[in-house]
Amino acid sequence: MGMPISHIMTSGMSGIRAAGDLVARMELAKSMRVGDAKDYVAKKLGVSTLDLSDEYVMRELREDLGIGVITSVAGAPKGIAAKMNIEKLLDIKINSCEKFRSQVSK
Amino acid sequence: MTTEYALRMGDGKRVFLTKEQIMADLQEGSADAADLADVPALSGDELERIAEIMMTPSRMVGVEPGKEVPVTHDIGTIRIDGDQGNSGVGIPSSRLIGSMMHERAFGADTMELGHIDYSFKPVKPVIAQEMQTMEVCQQNMIVPLLYGAMPNMGLYYTPDGPFENPGDLMKAFKIREAQESMEHAAGHLTRDTVWIMQRLMASGADGVNFDTVGAAGDGDMYASLHAVESLRKQYPDMYIEVGMAGELLLGMHGELEYDGTVLAGLWPHQQVKLAAKAGANVFGPVVNTNTSKTSPWNLARAVTFVKAAVEASPIPCHVNMGMGVGGIPMFETPTIDAVSRASKAMVEIAGVDGI
Amino acid sequence: MSNEEMFKELSDAIVSCKKDAVIATVEKARDEGIPPAEIIEKGLAAGMNEVGVLFERGKLFLPHVMMAAGAMEAGVALLEKDMPKDAASKKLGIIVNGTVEGDVHDIGKSIVSTMLQSSGFEVHDIGRDVPLQDFIDKAKETSANMIGMSALMTTTLPGQKDVIEMLKEQGMRDDIKVMVGGAPATEAWANKIGADCYAENASEAVAKAKELLL
Repeated sequence: MGMPISHIMTSGMSGIRAAGDLVARMELAKSMRVGDAKDYVAKKLGVSTLDLSDEYVMRELREDLGIGVITSVAGAPKGIAAKMNIEKLLDIKINSCEKFRSQVSK
Repeated sequence: MTTEYALRMGDGKRVFLTKEQIMADLQEGSADAADLADVPALSGDELERIAEIMMTPSRMVGVEPGKEVPVTHDIGTIRIDGDQGNSGVGIPSSRLIGSMMHERAFGADTMELGHIDYSFKPVKPVIAQEMQTMEVCQQNMIVPLLYGAMPNMGLYYTPDGPFENPGDLMKAFKIREAQESMEHAAGHLTRDTVWIMQRLMASGADGVNFDTVGAAGDGDMYASLHAVESLRKQYPDMYIEVGMAGELLLGMHGELEYDGTVLAGLWPHQQVKLAAKAGANVFGPVVNTNTSKTSPWNLARAVTFVKAAVEASPIPCHVNMGMGVGGIPMFETPTIDAVSRASKAMVEIAGVDGI
Repeated sequence: MSNEEMFKELSDAIVSCKKDAVIATVEKARDEGIPPAEIIEKGLAAGMNEVGVLFERGKLFLPHVMMAAGAMEAGVALLEKDMPKDAASKKLGIIVNGTVEGDVHDIGKSIVSTMLQSSGFEVHDIGRDVPLQDFIDKAKETSANMIGMSALMTTTLPGQKDVIEMLKEQGMRDDIKVMVGGAPATEAWANKIGADCYAENASEAVAKAKELLL
């Protein structure tokens, strides 16, 4: 485990601790290069690209937007619920959310 | 007395080098890559920057604020409850727990669900278990979660599979028969991979990670590219990551082509274009570590290959930086100092979109 | 034409991987009075070395290696009647090669076997997931000069050490060389377990086998 953790500490965006998952989603969903993915996500969040890895900025913002926070806040959207909010924020479709919607009775 | 810096050999052993020795090894490593792949060697300035990173007097280094990149994972959750063979630490836990641990405790930007027998072919008999696990993980997780496995075309040869081992046929000078065996195996691998991923997508997977593409040579990559192409047609929004097995695609067959390009002999900056053409979203270049050379030699060599791939690529490049690849020492527990330095160099000099 | 130029022409013919070209060049060298042993060693074998290097550099592929090896065999066969009995077909050494027990990887090991065979060794590739005693039994059966062992997993790597210990216990260690390789193997590991050498790749395996056995 020391190796992946070392990479994350050295170079990583630290996932839902900040906005790393969102940038990763845009790279994977739209083949965006990292600069473009950061610009896109920063614009959607209303922050600078420097803020995307800043826990100080992202912690409260993530909770306000309901897109998942790293500490387990009772009542805050988690899992599928958080991802559905991410879909709306980033204007993308997420496969697991599509499946969820298809399984919920109309 | 000349200052010496504590660095590592390619096998992880500590070694003490002067700046002159570091620079010499950086130059030699970069020149080796440039010569092999016919790409530019790193400039003097770039080599100086890598040297500075390597000579930093602290255990860990870090990228400059604002330069952080997403980190994707091979093997993924098996690291928690898996055994030594999977680089696992043997903590009894479910794969859901392993996934959530990565998301919530380790700061992973994405995660991968993998099977303990981490190849595509063994997934078929246990597909229901994989689907069920993917469903449960997706309900609980927020970061992108891919399904990952190795194409591992060698499993389609005797005695594991139905086709005669092409290595044995080649040694008997049955070249055409060997090539046919590889072609048949590739067809089966493509079919199996697509079948498996159709079911995982139905279970809510975000996409797929092909790990160690090309491990069995050009036939392995041929099969994988065709699987990517087929999946992309069926799932336009699927996340598809293609990670390689080495810097050179070995020509076991020698004549297989994709999109009019012979696959044998391709280097990372050439491999990435085909991966993108097939429909991949992210490409993972791989450069193997030479255990007899120093970490400066290995890192400069790796950065040279990867930088060329990043520049040639139309899609994001997430350089593979696990045990023994991407300038990381080939050691079961790669030393944190070497990992950190290689990580920073890849982001700031090779310009990767992720790790 | 000087002998050096002739050796270069022989080597180039091998690298071309064309049997006809090799046969024609061997006949030419023979007509020029070059000793058969030198035609083989300095011309054809040098060409096979170059083929190995080009394969590792991605310029030639495995079918080419086999075609070159086939062409070399044809060239050597032409010279057999000019050499002492069995001298032409004399192998550089006998090697037993395999992947250790519990490990099913064999692509890299097969490439090493192919390159060793193409370079003039008699190779007995005993496959993968090989019970450790089988390495020793096959070495006895074939009067092998070397055992080569591949392992691609950290969990199977200790098998290489076990075979060396078994060779010692069975009084054979001094009579046989041991080469190890595979992703988790390193020079340090080879030294630690008392192997004679470690090879990073197929070309290095050929070079080190020649160093140890010739």
